[in-house]
Amino acid sequence: MAGIRLDRVRKAFGGFVAVQGLDLDIADGEFLVLLGPSGCGKTTTLNMIAGLEQPSSGRIVFGGRDVTAEPPHTRNVAMVFQSALLYPHLTARRNIEASLRRSGLDAAERERRIAEAARLLENGELLDKLPSRMSGGQRQRVATAKAIVREPAAFLLDEPLSALDAALRQTLRAELVNLQKRLGTTTVYVTHDQVEAMTMGDRIAVMNGGRLEQVGTPGEIYGRPETLFVAGFVGSPPMNLLAGAVADGRFRAGELEVPIAGPEGRAVLGVRPQHVAVTPELAPGTLPGTVFALEHLGRESVLVLDNAAHQRLRVLVEPEFRARVGERLFLRPDPARCLLFEPESGRCF
Amino acid sequence: MRASPWIAPALLVALLWSLLPVYWFAKIAFLTPDEIARFPPPLWPQEPTLAAFFNIFGFDYTTAGGMLRRASGQANQIMRGLENSLIVSLVVTVVTLAIVVPLAYVFARLRFAHKEKLLFAILLAVALPPVSTLIPFYAMYVRLGLNGTLTGLIIVTLTITVPFVTWMLIGYFRNLPPVERLARIDGFSRLETFWRVMLPLGRSGIAVAAVIAFLFAWNEYTYALVLVNGTSANTLPTAISGFLFQHPEPSHLAASLLLTILPPALVAYFLQRHIGEMNLVDPIR
Repeated sequence: MAGIRLDRVRKAFGGFVAVQGLDLDIADGEFLVLLGPSGCGKTTTLNMIAGLEQPSSGRIVFGGRDVTAEPPHTRNVAMVFQSALLYPHLTARRNIEASLRRSGLDAAERERRIAEAARLLENGELLDKLPSRMSGGQRQRVATAKAIVREPAAFLLDEPLSALDAALRQTLRAELVNLQKRLGTTTVYVTHDQVEAMTMGDRIAVMNGGRLEQVGTPGEIYGRPETLFVAGFVGSPPMNLLAGAVADGRFRAGELEVPIAGPEGRAVLGVRPQHVAVTPELAPGTLPGTVFALEHLGRESVLVLDNAAHQRLRVLVEPEFRARVGERLFLRPDPARCLLFEPESGRCF
Repeated sequence: MRASPWIAPALLVALLWSLLPVYWFAKIAFLTPDEIARFPPPLWPQEPTLAAFFNIFGFDYTTAGGMLRRASGQANQIMRGLENSLIVSLVVTVVTLAIVVPLAYVFARLRFAHKEKLLFAILLAVALPPVSTLIPFYAMYVRLGLNGTLTGLIIVTLTITVPFVTWMLIGYFRNLPPVERLARIDGFSRLETFWRVMLPLGRSGIAVAAVIAFLFAWNEYTYALVLVNGTSANTLPTAISGFLFQHPEPSHLAASLLLTILPPALVAYFLQRHIGEMNLVDPIR
């Protein structure tokens, strides 16, 4: 077990910089999610932690030991790849055994660990099957068993659930978190799915364009996004972002007027769909919009509107709420719940 | 998907197309000279005899009816051709695999400078009509003393099989799942990854590559005709073609032809599982 520290880690492929000067501290036993859109550098970061890629500069430290130059197996990490990659020509047992080939353990100990891993995952009957004979979920479990037999210093998971259907994803999400908490192994989990990130991580590190946008608990990332990117990327339905300007303690964008404290000048107002009220009558300071769609989610509904600037806005409403497409309604954001961002840097004021 | 009503007739035509000629000459191999001379020809041997197969290997054969059928005058050529063809085909197969498997792996799975240009060079070698290199090879072989030798024939056959099989195997290796990263996490070195992971994983493709190299070398006729025909390095196809000018016994010709298609048929039969796997199963799964 060990904490992991990335110290000004940078990775360039030729002229393309995939990761720029990343500083990240992952505590011992923590479940950290690297979240970001594809091409943001999250998988490259994970590969550097694993030792599959060498950083162009910077250091990677496992529990005080500088492992930057070490190959993967001496770092003692276990990795689960996209679509639960296994050796297709080997049975589950041989796949799991392959994890132990450089461990120096004797045969009896290996057998004990394999049996234990299989029991932990309730997949004893799978041991003699080839991956091609397994379902997606079974392959995922075998890949996890392959990872845990090594009793690694860290689990590294690269979008392991992305190829599975939604129901199975939900089941395996909880299983992975439960397993990680029981074993207490430091875990880095890469995903582009913000629901996975929010539900699984102790902390989330949001990446964009090779940079770290924000690191924090799911609550912090959702409630206090530090940048426009995080505000827009995390949350479903996404936060509404409106460009305007602040003057005399008021944010104005077209007809919209929100009393909010902030530096004078151009600004972007961010407000989550659940913090906007809808009224049928025109009132001063409200934002007019035309109903585009009403999406029923059961417990609530999402009202989708277009404003005069042809921007799509989303509001959470009661499931009984009714509206016709094309109807004109007025939006009033809750000033206490609004965030203001600086438009150029994207930082939150 | 429902089977189209045309599938059965289409299959029938395809089967007739490929099997009828085989049936016709296979039948002749078992006929007696009388039956061969008869008109209309019999569709099935009345008294099937293995005489022709003994004859082409240089043995006289006395039929059950007490008739003596003499050994073929071409027996020496056939036996030598068979031996030479086996040597050439096996050596070509082994050498082709030894060169092509690592080569195709490197092209398919590693990144390096000028890869596209080198790939294009391989494609160019595949695209070259074999006949176009025949005369230069001949001229060169005369000087090197490789004319009429098995070594010469093997080298020239390799110039076809190596690029062609490389090209084919690159596509196969490229479609294998990215297990190299898994192997590195498990502590395999690059060489071990190739040897202990990629080779067993790619065995279907490698088996098919071996079949293609073997079949090509076995059936190769043009080069053999020019480079080794009429010498002690003669191969089976050219030896049999010599029959046309030598007054053959039809049953001997048919028996030799049957002998020629036997090894490819056996190879294809025993490796059909791999051939099917390579074509039909997504290697990612």
